[in-house]
Formats: sequence, structure tokens, C-alpha cells
Amino acid sequence: MTDFIQLFINGLAIGGVYALAAIGFVIVYSATGVVNFAAGQFVMFGTFAGVAMLLNAELPWPVGYGAALLAMALFGALFFAVLYLPLRKSPVVTIIIGTVAIGITMQNAALLAFGSWPFRLPSPVEGVNLTIAGATISAHAIAVVVVTAVMVALLWLLFFRTSLGIGMRAVAQDIQAARLMGLKVNRLLALSWVLAALLAGIAGLMLGPMWFADTSMGDPIALKAFAATIIGGFGSLPGAIVGGLFVGLSEVLGASYVSSAYKDLISFGIMIVFLLVRPQGVFGERVQDRG
Amino acid sequence: MSMRFPLLLGIVILIAGLGLSMLLTDYHLRLLNLAVISAIAVIGLNFAFGYAGLISLGHAAFVGTGAYGVALLTTLLGWSPWLALPVAVAGTAIFAVLIGLPLLRLKGHYLALATLGLNVSFSMVAANWIELTGGTNGISRIPELQVAGHALADERSYLWFALAVLAVSAAVAGLIHASRHGRAMIAVRDDETAASMTGIDVTRVKIAAFVLSSIYAAVAGGLFACHMRFISPEDFSYAHSITYLAMLIVGGEGSIVGAILGALLLTFLPEWLRFLGSAYLAFFGVFVLAILVFLPSGLVGFRWPGSLRRDGRSKGPAMVAASKEVRP
Repeated sequence: MTDFIQLFINGLAIGGVYALAAIGFVIVYSATGVVNFAAGQFVMFGTFAGVAMLLNAELPWPVGYGAALLAMALFGALFFAVLYLPLRKSPVVTIIIGTVAIGITMQNAALLAFGSWPFRLPSPVEGVNLTIAGATISAHAIAVVVVTAVMVALLWLLFFRTSLGIGMRAVAQDIQAARLMGLKVNRLLALSWVLAALLAGIAGLMLGPMWFADTSMGDPIALKAFAATIIGGFGSLPGAIVGGLFVGLSEVLGASYVSSAYKDLISFGIMIVFLLVRPQGVFGERVQDRG
Repeated sequence: MSMRFPLLLGIVILIAGLGLSMLLTDYHLRLLNLAVISAIAVIGLNFAFGYAGLISLGHAAFVGTGAYGVALLTTLLGWSPWLALPVAVAGTAIFAVLIGLPLLRLKGHYLALATLGLNVSFSMVAANWIELTGGTNGISRIPELQVAGHALADERSYLWFALAVLAVSAAVAGLIHASRHGRAMIAVRDDETAASMTGIDVTRVKIAAFVLSSIYAAVAGGLFACHMRFISPEDFSYAHSITYLAMLIVGGEGSIVGAILGALLLTFLPEWLRFLGSAYLAFFGVFVLAILVFLPSGLVGFRWPGSLRRDGRSKGPAMVAASKEVRP
């Protein structure tokens, strides 16, 4: 039982990271229709923004975290200008390949800048452990769960209680109507990319202390975020959260109770079953793309 | 397109390839072999993606099925590669039917993610089913191909054989494109509802395109196994699926010539850009993006500025209409 509590909290923590990555992915998808295959590289950039600010520049951690997130926000705006604007009228597959291509460039750029040697990004609560019902749990895992919950609450406030967020939802629903209502559509679209990059940055900063910071960490995160999005429901924010937590838990619990070699097969197997049986996921969008 | 084009294409491939095989060094011949094998796989992907509009990010899994089929049948059971090759291809085709029946009900990015999941699962099984596949150590000592008692051991003779397979593959693909089956695939891509109104069985056409693409992939995989004589799961990771798709898009989707050009270019590009060193992939991403933005119908769509010549085949614009999504 103590093992289970420990695994469960760790699963929730890693699931929270996947959930934030998946939320960023979903925000961009619902606002701009872009399926961002570079989503995992965004998270990797977040981790390495942390590495650059905390380890290389040796900033104290509140300043370092702030600087890293600022860099991520700027990167989101840059991505909007360089990838989204030139390709927004292209067919889906062109955009998919475009984001894949940029993802390859991002990974290679990080490799050139930081080298292939993995980094160990420290946590602000490094080395602190708590004992809950006999189980030893790292304070970082608890902090990740708390930060994820706070981010979800803030997002809810943004989308349902501020005119900015309501405008973003309007753009996601109907871009023409939003423009006719006088909303600054391009600004809101850019904002959704910035928001996605920020969430990926937070996910990356929280992931750094749990995994080693390695420039090839982006792809596995992207695959988990995709699985989370499909399971929860494409385009649904609650779905991204539930899906992310589910994928994280199934990974950690599956690795210790089923098979560590095939732990990833569990989430992909469930993703494919969902695609076949219930492609709209748990909370899904209306699916036109099923035929 | 007349029936002459496929024959002509096959002959051009053979002549150009034979000429090159006399000029190049052994190292470049090896690259050319890999390019020719990739070209066969990409011509296959063109059926699924270029003609029928099915976004597959799992093509390397079918290349892998063919390669592992040949490798296992020859090393474990001691079969001749000539017997193992058709059996592996047939096995891959059956696998593609079983995968395609449920998966092809999905479209757009759903299909892309499902096929991506398929490819990742394939790699995971290949890397972890150690008793059968040797895990990440792969399978070595795959026997070489023998033609009339002569082993295709060196790069040049293997290239001649691979070129012959490519010429036949391209010619057959051209014939299928020109036939009503090819037109049915393109009709399904352009407008499914309209296609089914004209009496086309949309599901069957999609499955046919998917299975055809897997057959070409398996042939390429078998050739790869016999050429390298060693395979491991990394050779068939989803990164390779992305490369195949990039080859097709850079060359020109919906075009057999484009598929071959794309495979050649993306195989040799790292070689030509060797001065970039480890920055090559960063360049590669930007290069593919530039092609997408400035040459949306690929290299075959290139026209000298100011030229008014246009061929009547539908390419980019039809694709745009086909895959444009209805947003909620």
C-alpha cells in the first residue's frame, strides 16, 4: 500500500506535466486548427530554458524561472510569426509536416547549444521528502501536482472570467464571426501560441528535476501528450487534464505492476482503442473527421 | 497520361541508374542503393498519401514488417531470400488489411496520430521481443541475394538489381495511376461524398491504397534487409516514417517522379551538406519548411519564373480542397 501511494503521487506528478503539455497543444489546436507536432520540443525548450537560466546563468530560482518563462513566451510569439502565419492557409498535412520540420530544427538547435550530455535541473525543493501514510514522497512531486492544479484554475479563470479569454474562445469557435464582432483576431491567435509556449515552459521546468534534461526528451513527451489528448478528447481542456493524468498514472503504475519494457504500450494501446471505439475521447469535440 | 509514360519512366530510371553506377565511387553507390530502396517505399507511400490522401505516419512500420519478415525467415528457418521476400510481402499485406480495416475509418490528424501510435508500438515490440527479434541488438547475418549463382555482394551489382526493382515498381505505379483504380483513389482524396455518389466503394479504395502502399514498403524493407544484411529496430522508427513523408512532399505529392526525386535528394542532402556538421538537422528542418512555403507542390511543381507552361494534372490545389478541415 505504501508503494502504491508513492507510485500514485509520482504518477500524478508526471501526469500533471503531460496534462500541461496537452493543454498547450489543445489551446493551439482549438484556436488555430494547427496540430502541433513540435509540442514535445516546446517542453524540451522549457526544460533547457531552465537549464540556461538556473545552471548556466546561475540566477536565483525565482528570477531564473521568470526569465525562462519570458523566453518561452517570446519563443511562442516567434513560432506564431515564422510558422503559423506563412502556413495558415495550407492543408492540414502541410502544417503537420511543417511543425515536424521545425521540431527537428528545435531539437538540433538545442543539441548544438547544450551538447548531448544530459543536465540535472535542480528543483527549488531539492532533497526535501515528506512521509505520508508511511510512504516517502519527494516534495517536488507534491509541488508539481499543486502547480498543475493552480495552473488549471488560472486557465479556467482566464477562459471564463476575463474578456481576453472569452475572446480567445470566440476565435476558437468561429474565426469569421469573431472578426466581425471587432475582436483583434490575429492578436488573440498569437496569444494562444504564447500561452501554449508558457504552459510547455512550466511543464518543462517541472519535468527537469524528474527526468534528466536531455535534448531528445521532446519526442516521448509529445507522444504522451498526443495520447492524453486523444484519450481525453481532441480539443477539450478537461479532456487534456484527465488524459494527461491517466497517461502519467498508467505509465508509472504500469511500469511497476505490469511490465517496465512495455509501459508505453499501455497508453498507446488505450489511445488506439479510443480512436477506434470513441474517437471523440472522454470529453470530446464533435468529430467530423471520422467518415 | 498514356500507357507509354510508365514504360518510359522505367527505361529512364534504368538508363540513368546504369550510367550513375559506372561513375560513382563505392561509398556513393551505397548511398544510391539506400536512395533507390527509399524511393520504392516512397512510391508506395504516394498511393496512400499522394493519391488517396491518407496521412500515414506509420510507413516505416510496414518497411520494418517486410524487413523483419525476410530477416527472420532467412536466419531462423534458413529459407532462401527469394522465397522469404514474397512471403514477407504477402504477410505485410495481410497485416496492412488487418490494421487498415479499423484504422482507415479515421481521417486527417486522427489517422496521422493513430498511424504514429502504430509505428511507435511496432518499434517497442521489435525492441523488446528479444527472443524473436534480438531486441535492440537486431538481426545480423542475413544472407545475400544470389542471381543465377552470382552473389549480389558488392554495391554495384546490388544497385543494378535494386534499380530493376525500382523501374518495375515505378512502371506498375504509373499503370495503376493511369487505370480506373488510380483515378478512384484520387477521386476519394478530392471528395469522398462525390466519389461514393459515382459508385466508388470508398472504404475498399482506401484499403486498397493502404495495402498497395504497404506492399511497396515491404518490398523496400526486404531489399533493405538483404542490402545491409543487418537490421535493428532503429531502422524503422517513426522518425523514418516522417522522413518518407518529407521525401514525398519535397519531391511532390501525387507524383511518382516526385517520389523518386525526393528520395534521392533527401538521401544525398546530408552528404552534400557535410560541411554543416552536426547542424545538418537544423538546416534540414528549415529546408523542408521552405519547400512547404515556397514550393507547395514539391520539386516537380517547380516552374521557372515567368513560364506560362502548365500541365493539366491536378496537384496542389485539389489537395488543398480535399484535406481542408471543417472546423467546429
